Amino acid sequence: MNVRKLTFALLLAAPASPARAQVERLTGRVDEATRAAVVAVVDSSRSAGVPAVPLVNKALEGASKGADGARIVAAVRALAADLGRARAALGPAASDPELVAGGAAVRAGVSPAFIGTLRARYPREPLMVPLAVMADLVARGVPADTAAESVASLMREGVRDADLVAFRQSVERDIALGAPAGGAAAVRLLTGTPTTSTLTPGDNTNRLPRKP
Amino acid sequence: MTGPGDDPLIARLAAELRRAPVARPGFDARVMAAVRRAPASLPSRAWTWLREERTLALSPLGGAAMAAVLAGVVIAGVWGAGRLSPAGSGPAPASPVAAAPSVVTFVLVAPQARSVALAGDFDGWDGSRLPMRRGTAGIWTVNVPLAPGRYDYAFVVDGRRFVADPAAPPATGDDFGRPTSVVTVGGGAARAAGGSL
Repeated sequence: MNVRKLTFALLLAAPASPARAQVERLTGRVDEATRAAVVAVVDSSRSAGVPAVPLVNKALEGASKGADGARIVAAVRALAADLGRARAALGPAASDPELVAGGAAVRAGVSPAFIGTLRARYPREPLMVPLAVMADLVARGVPADTAAESVASLMREGVRDADLVAFRQSVERDIALGAPAGGAAAVRLLTGTPTTSTLTPGDNTNRLPRKP
Repeated sequence: MTGPGDDPLIARLAAELRRAPVARPGFDARVMAAVRRAPASLPSRAWTWLREERTLALSPLGGAAMAAVLAGVVIAGVWGAGRLSPAGSGPAPASPVAAAPSVVTFVLVAPQARSVALAGDFDGWDGSRLPMRRGTAGIWTVNVPLAPGRYDYAFVVDGRRFVADPAAPPATGDDFGRPTSVVTVGGGAARAAGGSL
């Protein structure tokens, strides 16, 4: 038998259960009843394509902050629902980071239909940063529709991820200086936002294709 | 209202700490050239050995034993996965983002604090794994390598008080009644996060 083939077969057959490894992280951090309830959520969400890592992280966050079991389980369930909606909108090929950002956008009030439209328009480009910027703008008080449309508008211009982050920072600065949140996003969209100066000329990493 | 973060000197120091490091042009090329010049390491030689074709002679008994071990490993793997997910398989698993981690510098200005630690999705909200180092004028910092993604986090001051990062976006929703911030790490340059208490 060929050693290379044998090694390959062993690697393929190795027991790999990332979800189980994730759930093990709860041991000693939450009580048994809470752990069982979280495992049930992780288990049922898996069939919807929801990864275990963010759900377990949410439970650990609750444990660290001293929340009771019921509150932890409720938070994990809510997150699982958001991630499930994001998965349905982004499709089965979406990466975990993209999914987490999508879940945050959904929770912020961006409609899954809008996220689905974005995915249809950009089927192969990573949407993690655009979705994260949408959620961050809403968290600063920008209405969800305005945040979503602003980011989508910039994407149509073919901006880089770093430029979307610069846009968010500009809006945050304007809000901190007293501008109304919705108005700040609209004004920044009209007047432009500082582009990243650290990227070398001709670097087109993360650049989204310009679409009509 | 004024705070330690409003002091211009402290603000300048904190801003400098938050600035992402930029490698000099050609640095990557010089490092890679040096790596190529270096003699092959033990792991490299081992990898070469593993990739070479070899013929392995097995007796029928040895072959049967090997098959039994393989079958056991497969069954254990399927059983382990199935125990967590009896509902069956869902859509194809998400592909991991293959990108090198970026080093993110977290900064908090807290002159009165006796200890500050970072807790977040990246350390299982442990609160003790990422202690921050106190610097000049009560500026606490810690560098954390993070893979691309979106992470919730908070500062833990004096071992018990959760403090959000005033310089970072707040997390959407308030699941546990304690402040939480968010950092998004893209696939490109390092990004800094931080604020003052």
